[in-house]
Amino acid sequence: MFEVYKKELKELLRDKKTLLFVVALPVIVFPILFAVMAFLTSQAALQAEQKVHTYAIINGEFAPDFTDTIFYHKSFKLFERGNAFKTIEELKLAIKRGEIDMGIYIPKNTEKALDNYETTTWQVVFNDAKSINFLYQRIQKLVQDYSDNLQKNKLIQLGLQLKQQQAILNPIIVKKVDTSDKRENLGEKLGGFLPYLLVPLVLMGATYPAIDLGAGEKERGTLETLLLTPITRTQLVLGKFLTLLTTSIASTLITVSSMGAWIALALSFTDLDIIASAFSRLVLLDLILIFILLLPLAAIFSAIALAISIYARSFKEAQNYMAPLSIVVFFPVMISLMPNMELTSKTAFIPITNVSLAIKEIVKGTVDFTYIGYIFIATVITAGLLLLFCVRWFTKEHVLFR
Amino acid sequence: MITVSGLQKKFKRTKDHKKDHAHIIDPREDSQYFHSVRNVSFSCKKGEVLGLIGPNGAGKTTTLRMLSTALTPDAGSIYINQTNIVQKPVYGRKSIGFLSGSTGLYGRLTVKENIAYFAKLHGMSKQNIINRCDELFSLLDMHSFVDKRADSLSTGMKQKANIARAVVHSPDVVVLDEPTTGLDIMTTQTVISFILSLKEQGIPVIFSTHHLDEIAQLCDSVTVINKGISCFSDSVDEFKKQGKSEHLNKAFLTILSEHNHV
Repeated sequence: MFEVYKKELKELLRDKKTLLFVVALPVIVFPILFAVMAFLTSQAALQAEQKVHTYAIINGEFAPDFTDTIFYHKSFKLFERGNAFKTIEELKLAIKRGEIDMGIYIPKNTEKALDNYETTTWQVVFNDAKSINFLYQRIQKLVQDYSDNLQKNKLIQLGLQLKQQQAILNPIIVKKVDTSDKRENLGEKLGGFLPYLLVPLVLMGATYPAIDLGAGEKERGTLETLLLTPITRTQLVLGKFLTLLTTSIASTLITVSSMGAWIALALSFTDLDIIASAFSRLVLLDLILIFILLLPLAAIFSAIALAISIYARSFKEAQNYMAPLSIVVFFPVMISLMPNMELTSKTAFIPITNVSLAIKEIVKGTVDFTYIGYIFIATVITAGLLLLFCVRWFTKEHVLFR
Repeated sequence: MITVSGLQKKFKRTKDHKKDHAHIIDPREDSQYFHSVRNVSFSCKKGEVLGLIGPNGAGKTTTLRMLSTALTPDAGSIYINQTNIVQKPVYGRKSIGFLSGSTGLYGRLTVKENIAYFAKLHGMSKQNIINRCDELFSLLDMHSFVDKRADSLSTGMKQKANIARAVVHSPDVVVLDEPTTGLDIMTTQTVISFILSLKEQGIPVIFSTHHLDEIAQLCDSVTVINKGISCFSDSVDEFKKQGKSEHLNKAFLTILSEHNHV
């Protein structure tokens, strides 16, 4: 068994493609991609932040204070023919033509309406399809300030002092007393993200080498030779299985270490206290626990990938079978992130979902160790059954000689 | 010595094949199975070379795969030194050296590593592996490329490496499935010389081929397989007599023709 294991590892380490997937991608390519993405996103946000929006206003004279405020606001610029529009349709057309970014329609009765205790509706016309757009936020704030001011003045006219106004407008103030500590709060967010990263990594670390170890053997014509040696099919499968388990875990560890190193590097250059505090709260025991949970998961993926690969007639066929496997694996991870999904005695027995939920709980620092035990046992049993299936699969002539 | 008697092997028909059921003309097919090997028997004594011939799809490769224990027969027996390897396949794997035309090597390992790997799987000790490899490398003139990676070898070099891999564990019987197919003249000659050297060592060799000149050059006996049945199994001299000619082609065609009319 160990001869098979040693040989498979030696061969994989000499395979440039495997090294690319297992080492180069996580260590160099992924971080570069993430950095480029972060840079582009921040640039886009900066541009959106600095953008000055051209606007036109209809009936601005009925809200002169507001018209003045927006006119002097640094993020807005009045369209040179600002009085050219009379209807909302004209504003829409101007936005389509790219003449203005925003149009505001103010009803003629704005200030008088308040005297009659009526509300008025203003309309803000703009294109909301852009992903990063501060326009609506800005105009909403301006309108809100103006509205608050109108309200305050009216209430003073009615004889209510500021203190009384506050009491009437906000008779009850709700103060949040959060029992969750910082870790639990951050863990909820980070813990949800980690399974999305770790589970596919564990899978990817097993699938690519598996194709070479099963279908690759068939395509090269070495499988038959291997079957004619005196080692048992169990030894053969175990040798290959251990190789996949190793690559799966190794690729996950390499990726996580690489990301850790890159994050540490990024933190040394920038001041990202939230991320630093989130990561500093993970203690060694948490990392060991996550690793322990990922081990049987890697075993499950290794057994499935090996069974699929040995069934395939060729490298290409195996790749076709492996693709849907990623979707199948993502599904239980997604379930674990659904609202109100918690680690219970029932969810602890749902494969993949259980590990995903447990990782979240570990990061939050609220994990129940009994459930960790359940999950470990359930995952080990599943992995064992799949491994048994794999051994049986290796004895089937219709699988080996399709 | 290896004795094969009454071998049978059938394969379940795939859905695609079943669709064509109406057009079945091969007597080996029925609605459920394809009877690839129906009744094959022959024997090969110590120091003998047996040639297995037959048309494409006759069942030669399936027969050889059963000999190599890759496939399990549905019926029949294969005795090597009084042991039925159908019942004791591990004994068969230790006793047989098998090589087929489609056999490959691990491209990212060197020739030496490839051969040593299989030797280790056969349970050979480190010193035994070194000695045996050295012996085979000299016999097959391989010293110049044993440290090269297999994926950088020429077809001829690969075939030599494959032969060395197949016999590294000093098997009692050697089974070769079309060992010279696709090889150039020089490499074919190497394979032929190797078969002759095995014969000199007293090792029974069974090989399938489409080249009747190889039968004439190497074999002591011939088995003809047609439609999954061994329709002739005797010495080369008896084989020649069937065609009433020195040309083996004629004998082969006569045997097939007679069997097809039975």
